[in-house]
Amino acid sequence: MLTLQNVTVIYPDKTKAIDNLSFTLGGHENIALIGENGAGKTSLLLAIVGILAPAGGTVEVNGIRLCKKTVNEIRKQIGLVFQNPDDQLFMPLIYDDIAFGCRNYGLPEEDIEARVDETLDLLNISHLRGRSSLKLSGGEKRLAAIATVLAMNPSVLLFDEPTAYLDPKAKRALTEVLKKLRHPKIIATHDMVFAAGVCDRTVILKDGRIMADGAVSLLSDNELMRRCGL
Amino acid sequence: MKDKIRQLYALEQLSGGHSFVHKLHPAVKLLTAAVFIITVVSFDRYAFGRLIPYVFYPALLMALSETPYSMLLKRFLFTLPFCLFAGISNIFFDRASAFAIGGVTVSYGVVSFFVIVFRVYLCVMAVLLLVSVTPFAEITASMRRLGIPAVFVVLFEMTYRYIGVLFEEAYSMVTAYSLRSGGASGIGMKDMGSFVGQLLLRSFDRADRVYSAMKCRGYALRVFPRGRGKLERRDWIFGSVTCLLCIAFRIIDANALFAGIFRGIA
Repeated sequence: MLTLQNVTVIYPDKTKAIDNLSFTLGGHENIALIGENGAGKTSLLLAIVGILAPAGGTVEVNGIRLCKKTVNEIRKQIGLVFQNPDDQLFMPLIYDDIAFGCRNYGLPEEDIEARVDETLDLLNISHLRGRSSLKLSGGEKRLAAIATVLAMNPSVLLFDEPTAYLDPKAKRALTEVLKKLRHPKIIATHDMVFAAGVCDRTVILKDGRIMADGAVSLLSDNELMRRCGL
Repeated sequence: MKDKIRQLYALEQLSGGHSFVHKLHPAVKLLTAAVFIITVVSFDRYAFGRLIPYVFYPALLMALSETPYSMLLKRFLFTLPFCLFAGISNIFFDRASAFAIGGVTVSYGVVSFFVIVFRVYLCVMAVLLLVSVTPFAEITASMRRLGIPAVFVVLFEMTYRYIGVLFEEAYSMVTAYSLRSGGASGIGMKDMGSFVGQLLLRSFDRADRVYSAMKCRGYALRVFPRGRGKLERRDWIFGSVTCLLCIAFRIIDANALFAGIFRGIA
């Protein structure tokens, strides 16, 4: 369960990226986080994992409130998949990239190996185990980036523009993978078809505020979309 | 340039192997490499002959780990201009005669020049072999376990990771530039300032995102990944034999010893 209450994020140049935002994600819910460029989607995801420090409000994950002391525990529970998989794949081998988080949390090497193999199997990318991210296609990189967070066994998944750089075939494969994952998710995206295919709830942002929060059918409300700058 | 980025990390990709050397404890490999380098650099600048027995270390590791020599040699060649530059002045300043071969006098400067090149060759090979048989994460974990200050280890990790980031950013910028440069080769001098500035800013930005991704997966300056467990028998044997040989070659003049033995036999 992820709860955000009156979260506000202000950048050093005084820009208010998120303005007094509240919502709850629970059960096996999948939220599509929609909004025009600069609406605050990425800022919100970064604030949830404590990369951006909220200027106000609270973030709570499974009863743990985000603060300096708990930030590592929160990051263990929430897996964030970045927009650009190249930011997430920085080790020489995909195996090491997937093992990176588990190693930082002090898991024994045998358990790490088992987790990496399990995750690779789940995503059907076992063939990438010993390869370098420099030699992968966009779709493969995306799945490898997802594997890096799944191996840490998080309870909530956040995705920042997961369909960026993907061709239709890779997008379909990704849709199937995300449907298979039972974790509650927040997916920030501009791809309405993809959002409608994966999510059951929509939160629409504009200027850091929630403009609408409801069923995924909201995405077909053209008037609402126009008002939200979409 | 994309190829250069691949080359940069290609050696480390060999570290996932399963040879005897790959299976050794990383701390042992790190320590033996350090002992090897310290003993090699401890010789005086004319001791060419005394360095020859040290070839045993790279030769042994290469054979046991099945690391391709060409990969190592290519990387050594990158360092060659630096050591040539460092040693070339010796040839001009140290002209005293050391010995003569077939009537040709060889100066001490020439001897010290070759000692520098040979010494660099041995040390670079030792480091390259260490990287090719040990995953990077295990090297840094061992450095921490051996008590090297965290700030140095982090600096080492970041430098290594960000070289790739810098290359990638430079690659995409050079591509974008050359597509609009009207066929000009390279970056024009008038654009060089803004190009380098932009490269720096973009690399900072990218490095910040990579660091965020690392932090999201539990990376912290004071929380260290667990290293590999206890040393096994093979680690003790490999470590002690290698270190003893390095120290023995430092104390005993192996060349004189072998020459004496051969003379005795003759």
